[in-house]
Amino acid sequence: MKLLINTRQLLRHPIIRSMTTTTQHKSHDVACEPPALTSVQLDELERNVQMRHHKNNVPLIRELLKVVQDSGQTNTEASRQLAEQLQQLPNATHPRLLSYDNQPLELANYEHRELPKQGAKEFSELARALNLYRMDHLGNYTGHKSYYLTGQLAMLEQAIIQYALQILTNHGFKLISVPDILPKEIIESCGMRTEGERTQVYKLQTGECLSGTSEMALAGFYANKVLEEEQLPLKLAAVSRCYRAETSGLHEEKGIYRVHQFTKVEMFAITTSEESEAMLEQFKETELTMFKQLGLNFRLLDMPPCELGAPAYQKYDIEAWMPGRQMWGEISSCSNCTDYQAKRLGIQYKRASDGRVLSTHTINGTAAAIPRLLIALLESYQHMAASHAEAMEIPIPDALVSFMHGQRAIKKNKRIPETKLVKFIKAA
Amino acid sequence: MLAKTTNLKMLKLRHVLNKSRSLRRHISALYITGDKANENYVTLQPYLDFAGTFRDQPALEQSIQSRGLNINLETLLRKFQLYQTHHEQLQRLDQERDALTKQLKSLTKSGAAATELEALKERGKALRNDVKTLKQKLYPIEDDFIHDFLHLPNALHADCPVGQQEQLIYRRTLPNAEKEASSHLECTEMVQFMDNNRYYMMKQAAHFDIQAMQALAAYFVNQGDFVQTSNPDFVRCVLLEANATPMDHYQLVCEEQLQNKLNTAYLTGGAAFESYLGAMTKLCVYPSVLPLRYVCCGRSYNRAEAELNGPTPSLYTATQTNAVQSFVATLKPEEADEELQLILHLATDFYKALDVPFRIVYAPAHSLTPAESLRASIEVYAPSLQRYVCVGRISNYSDFVSKRILFSARRDKHYDFLHLVGGPVLYTTRLIAALIEHNVPLDKCKLLGLPQAPQSSQSQLAQDIQEFKDLFK
Repeated sequence: MKLLINTRQLLRHPIIRSMTTTTQHKSHDVACEPPALTSVQLDELERNVQMRHHKNNVPLIRELLKVVQDSGQTNTEASRQLAEQLQQLPNATHPRLLSYDNQPLELANYEHRELPKQGAKEFSELARALNLYRMDHLGNYTGHKSYYLTGQLAMLEQAIIQYALQILTNHGFKLISVPDILPKEIIESCGMRTEGERTQVYKLQTGECLSGTSEMALAGFYANKVLEEEQLPLKLAAVSRCYRAETSGLHEEKGIYRVHQFTKVEMFAITTSEESEAMLEQFKETELTMFKQLGLNFRLLDMPPCELGAPAYQKYDIEAWMPGRQMWGEISSCSNCTDYQAKRLGIQYKRASDGRVLSTHTINGTAAAIPRLLIALLESYQHMAASHAEAMEIPIPDALVSFMHGQRAIKKNKRIPETKLVKFIKAA
Repeated sequence: MLAKTTNLKMLKLRHVLNKSRSLRRHISALYITGDKANENYVTLQPYLDFAGTFRDQPALEQSIQSRGLNINLETLLRKFQLYQTHHEQLQRLDQERDALTKQLKSLTKSGAAATELEALKERGKALRNDVKTLKQKLYPIEDDFIHDFLHLPNALHADCPVGQQEQLIYRRTLPNAEKEASSHLECTEMVQFMDNNRYYMMKQAAHFDIQAMQALAAYFVNQGDFVQTSNPDFVRCVLLEANATPMDHYQLVCEEQLQNKLNTAYLTGGAAFESYLGAMTKLCVYPSVLPLRYVCCGRSYNRAEAELNGPTPSLYTATQTNAVQSFVATLKPEEADEELQLILHLATDFYKALDVPFRIVYAPAHSLTPAESLRASIEVYAPSLQRYVCVGRISNYSDFVSKRILFSARRDKHYDFLHLVGGPVLYTTRLIAALIEHNVPLDKCKLLGLPQAPQSSQSQLAQDIQEFKDLFK
């Protein structure tokens, strides 16, 4: 439980102070300031890094620390490098997860419908047969893995957004319109690398970046702000376009399962350190409500340390059973980032009892990631009886009917021309 | 007044500079000559309609002049002649080679003398070398002419004003220009503006931002028989060139593994006209599906009018906005005119219900992009700027763009290039800014297209019951 505790104070260096994490159970009070950093504590940091399958930069940190301490903090280059390395360290890990042995723990499994054991069609096959989607021959024009949703599938995207927003508003979330173009500092402070060959972040020629999730814009909005404790918890929702440079050649991720651009409804909260764990439970409950009403078969997983990424202290994933792919596919997740992002961005609050300014905690969760939900819905609701596309009808979940202008089924679209391409047209 | 005039002059100067900048590109993803095709993958071969373009030279000259383009048609025609002469020569050589090959085949079959065959083979080799030499000579001529040809603008529509002024075609509620209005930026509880790339909207503004977009798209689907789509956000250079979009309208996306260096990606947003072109490129449809009417919700990241709505950065100049984009394809030009009117009609209904001062104008020729033949601009009055700002613009592209992207309908053995009409019908960000400045409560706005609110369905029920009762009177 003492992992990573107050390393910032141990190091007694202004840059370092803002980088390392504290767990929520430890006070930030100076009065509790522990003794100087020991090699035992560095060992703890290293164990955490290794447990989370993170790039191990602790040996380098040890070296840099030595240089900084030996030079009496006059070596600014070493201090800069040290700060950079510390920024890359992952968050602390919830002690509950230490025994998970790198496997997620299934906490619950919800079955709302009987799904075919075999023979179910995969999303792209269904959507193409219904003439509601196109993904082929687009690379040279709109880019790799780009896609068009048409007719009822495009309407369903907007219906899901409305449905998610209705639930979130009822749960007390405040909607904010957010920017998709962000300075790289904000993205890095949220725990995403923007440099390097395998970066998932798109850059514009201006040097600014495209946001991978609206959590970044929301966290960035409160950067360097000191909130009053009465303002907390802040529960926010946003609808945004998400841009991810990642690619996948895996067969099971074909179609729109993993794409470069998609729409997502996101939940985000800023709380005191005492409230964040309960808020994560609220996020989880909201997500469960949403997917239960959509009638999907899904399971709730408590994710092990190696699946947390850098910023999360703990994380729940929700995976829906996708009968066409015959696999569990992640449709949602929620994470408690404790003060990892808040410290990097300077999101603070003034404690009502004594006026002390402390770092907040941040929590984020997916309310609706459109492509994965479309896959789960179409694959789960397909009728096995329909042998050809003309007869194929996919019922629309009751919860979405009112947002689909009363439509109850998805049918083949006959107004959209089929994709017949020419190579060249010779001038007369 | 002086400041305004200077400002206007500056804008015009910038406009001319921008135009010359966009004309200066010599490398094109849209047309790659054979000598460069080894390094650069040819993704699209536009249909080059020389005969059609040069048929009405006075009209073409007028289009160039009215748009203020720096193109000398005479020089271009000379280049065309040179290109044609060489091209014809090349064709003749090709024909001669074909004939020779046939002759060689038949003589070989009939067992002709070896010397005769040898002579023919030698002639064939000579011809092959001639073709090669001529091709090398033709490449720079072709490069020079075709790129100039691709910079030629579309012909102007008869309704497009050729003077400096726009032409008013509809106006609703006259604005009170005398009244001093505060900027929407002062309403910090709803708008937090950092810069043109970054702003946040809260409370009713955030809800309106999504609801207005969804409502208008639904109105187009339900009232105008449009098909809704959801489009990609990146568009590659080849399509922007095909649409003659000035490259500085959108931001370039840096890609780690770019396969074709010429064909870079731009961030347009799904609700951009150019984004529709990806699905239409090389597409051949049956005439029975026409007119094709599409509408979509999405982002738009167009920087085109930021300077016009400045100089102070605000929601009027912001790059990102939610938008509703329309796209229609027709077989005939007169159908395209009707479709433009239909889109304007639906949009007018929507803005009328909002009760905001707005107007629709035809934009003057000098402000059009080279592909547009006519543009109707939907403008709301922005009190803080004391003038109208564009919240939507519907353009007629005739068959200019579809020839370049090979979007056609097949009739018998003939391809008809389709006439395109479309553009954004709503930029939510600018509309929200104007509504805030008009003191319109955003949560009370009547949004056409939204599913009927429960109270109105109640009143519908009451009306139905009354009608039922009336039957017995």
